[in-house]
Amino acid sequence: MLILSEELHQKIMAHGEASYPYEGCGLLLGTVEDRQNIVRDIRPLENVWPDEKEKRVRFRIDPQAWQAVELEAMMRDLDVIGIFHSHPDHPPIASPRDLAWASWPGYSYLITKIEQGVAQHSRSWQLAEDRERFEEEKINNGQ
Amino acid sequence: MTTIRIPTPLRTYTDGQTTVNVTGSSVTAVLNDLTQQYPALKNHLFDGDELRSFVNVYVNKEDIRALNGAATAVSEEDALMIVPSIAGGA
Repeated sequence: MLILSEELHQKIMAHGEASYPYEGCGLLLGTVEDRQNIVRDIRPLENVWPDEKEKRVRFRIDPQAWQAVELEAMMRDLDVIGIFHSHPDHPPIASPRDLAWASWPGYSYLITKIEQGVAQHSRSWQLAEDRERFEEEKINNGQ
Repeated sequence: MTTIRIPTPLRTYTDGQTTVNVTGSSVTAVLNDLTQQYPALKNHLFDGDELRSFVNVYVNKEDIRALNGAATAVSEEDALMIVPSIAGGA
């Protein structure tokens, strides 16, 4: 399960809207407790997919930027617990491309649908242990 | 002692350890030591004998690809970090 406050979710949706028509992305910082990923902060990052025309349907996070966020999180007793990105005019479902370039089970992959520039809703996914598919996880606002 | 910081999801395979002490004089050697201490990590870091394509290793903030790759020398004062490359899309 992903625990995400409404306030942080709003920031994620705002980043998706600001990135439209391209995909926006970033990292979820927080803690893992009883197998729940609890988001305490977020870090929007640049979508560095190399072909500008493809950024409507592709994203990439620069590993160097990830490393900097990882170090910052460490100083704050937090961890990188997941990735968020937006799907402009596409449903917030983990795609075959998300699967092909996924990393490890345990990270939350939060995807927000942006429809005509307006954030709609988000769904969250985790890579299955066998790396063959994504499985949806519940999102709870912690209230 | 050389240390390797373990990414959050992989701590499942290191008994919850955030940082693991390792021995060896190269990146290859310390990663081998890491996966000998925690064998379940190997499949998540390696595809056969090669690091998985999305796995990046940093020695004191330097990407080993900009150094000498897996042969990069490592000393006891060095801190290593494992960071994934993430991409995707609709």
